Amino acid sequence: MTSMAKETQQRSAVLQGTLDMLILRTLLYGPAHGHQIGKHIQRTTNDFLQMQHGSLYPALHRLERRGWVLSKWETAPDRNREFKYYRLTEKGRKQLLVEESQWKQMAEAVARVMWPAAEES
Amino acid sequence: MRWWQIRTRDADLERELRSDLDLEEEEQRDSGLSGEEAHSAARRAFGNPTLIREQTREAWGWAPAERFWQDLRYAIRQLRRAPGFTITAVLILALGIGAVTAVFSLIDAALLKMLPVENPELLVQFKNISPTFPINDAFSYPAFKTMSEQSQVLAGVLAFRKLHNIDFEVDAHSGLAEGQLVSGSYFSVLGVKAIRGRTLLPSDALAAGQNPVAVIGYDYWRSRFALDPEIVGKKILLNNAPFTVVGVTEPEFYGVQPGAKIDVSIPLTTMVLVNPGFAASGSQYDVLTAPMRNWLYMMGRLQPGVTREKATASLQPVFTELKQEAVASLAGQPVDSPALREAVLDYRLQLDPASQGLASLRQQFSKPLWVVMAVVALLLLITCANVANLLLARANAREREMAIRLAIGAGKFRLMRQLITESILLGVMGGALGVALAYWGSSSLLALMAQGRSPVSLRVQPDLRLLAFALAVSLVTALIFGTIPAWRSTDVDPSHGLAQNTRSATSARERHGLGKALVVLQVAVSLVLLVGAGLLARSLTNLRDYYPGFNRENVLLFHVDPTVAGYKDVVPIYERLLDRLRAMPGVRSASLSVHEPLSTNVSDSSVKVQGPYAHQGDDLAPVDIEPVGPEYFATMETPVMRGREFAEGDRSGAPEVAIVNQSMAHHFFGDTDPVGRFVSIPAYRGDTSWMQIVGEVRDVKVHDLRESPTLMLYVPMWQAPEGGATFEVRTAMDPAHVETAALGAVKSIDERLPVYAVKSLSDQLDDSLVEERLVGSLSSTFGFLALLLTCVGLYGLMAYTVNRRTGEIGIRMALGAQRGRIAAMVLRETLLLVGLGMVAGVPAAFFASRLIASQLFGLKPGDPVTFLAACVVMIAVTMIASYIPARRAASVDPMRALRSE
Repeated sequence: MTSMAKETQQRSAVLQGTLDMLILRTLLYGPAHGHQIGKHIQRTTNDFLQMQHGSLYPALHRLERRGWVLSKWETAPDRNREFKYYRLTEKGRKQLLVEESQWKQMAEAVARVMWPAAEES
Repeated sequence: MRWWQIRTRDADLERELRSDLDLEEEEQRDSGLSGEEAHSAARRAFGNPTLIREQTREAWGWAPAERFWQDLRYAIRQLRRAPGFTITAVLILALGIGAVTAVFSLIDAALLKMLPVENPELLVQFKNISPTFPINDAFSYPAFKTMSEQSQVLAGVLAFRKLHNIDFEVDAHSGLAEGQLVSGSYFSVLGVKAIRGRTLLPSDALAAGQNPVAVIGYDYWRSRFALDPEIVGKKILLNNAPFTVVGVTEPEFYGVQPGAKIDVSIPLTTMVLVNPGFAASGSQYDVLTAPMRNWLYMMGRLQPGVTREKATASLQPVFTELKQEAVASLAGQPVDSPALREAVLDYRLQLDPASQGLASLRQQFSKPLWVVMAVVALLLLITCANVANLLLARANAREREMAIRLAIGAGKFRLMRQLITESILLGVMGGALGVALAYWGSSSLLALMAQGRSPVSLRVQPDLRLLAFALAVSLVTALIFGTIPAWRSTDVDPSHGLAQNTRSATSARERHGLGKALVVLQVAVSLVLLVGAGLLARSLTNLRDYYPGFNRENVLLFHVDPTVAGYKDVVPIYERLLDRLRAMPGVRSASLSVHEPLSTNVSDSSVKVQGPYAHQGDDLAPVDIEPVGPEYFATMETPVMRGREFAEGDRSGAPEVAIVNQSMAHHFFGDTDPVGRFVSIPAYRGDTSWMQIVGEVRDVKVHDLRESPTLMLYVPMWQAPEGGATFEVRTAMDPAHVETAALGAVKSIDERLPVYAVKSLSDQLDDSLVEERLVGSLSSTFGFLALLLTCVGLYGLMAYTVNRRTGEIGIRMALGAQRGRIAAMVLRETLLLVGLGMVAGVPAAFFASRLIASQLFGLKPGDPVTFLAACVVMIAVTMIASYIPARRAASVDPMRALRSE
């Protein structure tokens, strides 16, 4: 029990507003279903980013409503079952670029305030 | 996504979540957990699926609508579970909303609605404004012709004149109709079409008497011709002159005066056929040429982009020329005088907006209808308070339900939204029933309005406008009565609410206080309505009891017009008829006059006086002229103050005589005796001959009971006969008994003589009070309803209080309180509430009564008797309402009350 509590402390919830970007970036590799997307983000960050299903599914449906992703029930290649696969649309690709550049600007701005010395060297 | 896809979408989401949850479980099993453990681990990792689903659905953007739909279904279930409450609330609301909607439908039809013609906002009405004379809406035919040519600012001009009581004969059956004479441009300027045949054209109105064609109104086509498809080409007789029907107007069209009845329209130029005396064809007074004969109402249609101000300014030069022509035409006429010339030149042209038509009905009913609207709005406020009280009582019953729902995590605002949805549902149901009530109610209101002296024909239909109004009223009402109870019912502390003894919860006591406040409000508003109703009803009684200068009882009135049957000399006919009437059993005396008593019509003229008199030079003072028969004042029982009244000998050939009323005598002669003096009325008679004053009579009310005394000059009928005349027959019994015999006497002289407007003098007096009766009866009815609703509310509150306090009353009794004192306790509490209501209500009523001061007669707005009576009635009735709860309190069985506690 205690180890679990410790573990939770080291994890962090996905930063507000970046979830959409992370999902879109994940889908750049190809179509994926909700479970895969969640697992991918979690694993890639070495379990640092805790993927809440309560935000994942609303985000996916929101992206679909905006036309950035498309969904379709398809049979998985490795097993005989249907999953709901999401894939990136052309609009979604453009959106990813926009969000990425915004995030970069944001990160740089934060960095300049936090570590001014690093900037000089 | 559309809302109807939500269900499919929902299933899809459920499938998606389940498949991912299964995957998670598989993975957990792969990592070595047993089936059961894997299942719960997956659950833990995944989170609450219901919550996820809810959150995802929010992302679809349809959540608000969906929640509303949920709330609505829940509300329907809740209301179905409490049918007694639902029916009571819906009925009360239907009453309030129905009353407001009914009155609004009349206001809309009579005062607000635009004319059903093309682009009504471009229509203007022509008016003559003068500093010396009251506003005059009538113009001459030459003025109409000139204005028609001003096409740079006016796209078209129309002129018309009403034709009252026209004899409309078809297939040898005569009947009475309301008609109008119209210019050839009338229908094209308005943009009104015919549904059968054609409307009138400019070519129909070119020369006097040339084109006897007629267009009839849809309603008349239905009532008189049963929608006969062969109507076009039908030959008819109008006042005995042959006409041909050429078309029927659209059903929506009712002329340019809302509420007026237009059965038939004929060209202006046919005046010479239907009323040759008035047309004076060929003489210097010819209606089609004389610049001084103002007999036409004119409306124009502005050119697009031209404002009223611009049009008025650019028409002034033409108008000035017209005035100069009119003054020039005065030369050599008996009426000519420097003062008159100056007055004519003082006229100024004004264009008034006329998108709603001419204003006669608006002027008559505007004030009364708004007063009634205020009354029903207050009634609606009472119904709101009443239903709010019902909801509060219901909130107490649902306290536990709310506490449980709050305890298991429902949001306060979510619950409020649900309760308000219930209120809206109630409001809309009440509104739907109210519209049905309103439809029924507005037709009875219309029937009441139509009893006046001029025929009122309004069309009230439940159109979209009205439905939108009713819906808006229902929603606003629902929000008013629903919000506070909803706030209160969700303001529950779950731990308190869930405790077994909910009666000790503090919030309940506050809610109780709110109920009391609502009752106080109802008492206050009811008191305002009661005082208003009392004042108006007593004014009506005062008006009815008022002595108008004649005795209203036992007089039969009817109108005869021999000129319609082709007679030129009417005096012999009238003499024979008077002889026959006087010889009839039960008749005490009979006489005649041109206008009926309390008529809306008037002939006025300026007077010239021979010799010295007061107000020298003021010879433009308008005097009402009334030709009356011999023994007129004896028949009307109007006292003759000086001299004598007209006799059989005052006929043509004998010296010309006249009688003045007190006001005229005083105006011109001060305190000196007017008898023996000479006056003349050149503008009225067309000659300057002097008439000797032979008598002075008491002032009578001429047009309505509220008017200030008018200057009256009576002339003998035999010396100044006009077309038709009203006969006054004084009887020894109810005049209804001699009606048949009197009409028989007319027909015995000539079958063809048309008789109209048969009624008793007291009915005529009542008809003149139509506005007062409308306001009086409606405010009494609604005042009574308000009182009833207040009592129901008070009864409900007291019954509920007693019920809640059963335990306390039981203890009091067990400790020795007597039953009488317990009952007195309840009554005292009621009295306190009613007293508080009256403290608020009396000043409000005082303020409100000042707003209706102009509607009152014979008493002051703050009339103490009425106020006292209203307070006494209020106390008495509310005491009766609380008597039953008081008795129930007194009959509480202490043993039983304590056991249940």
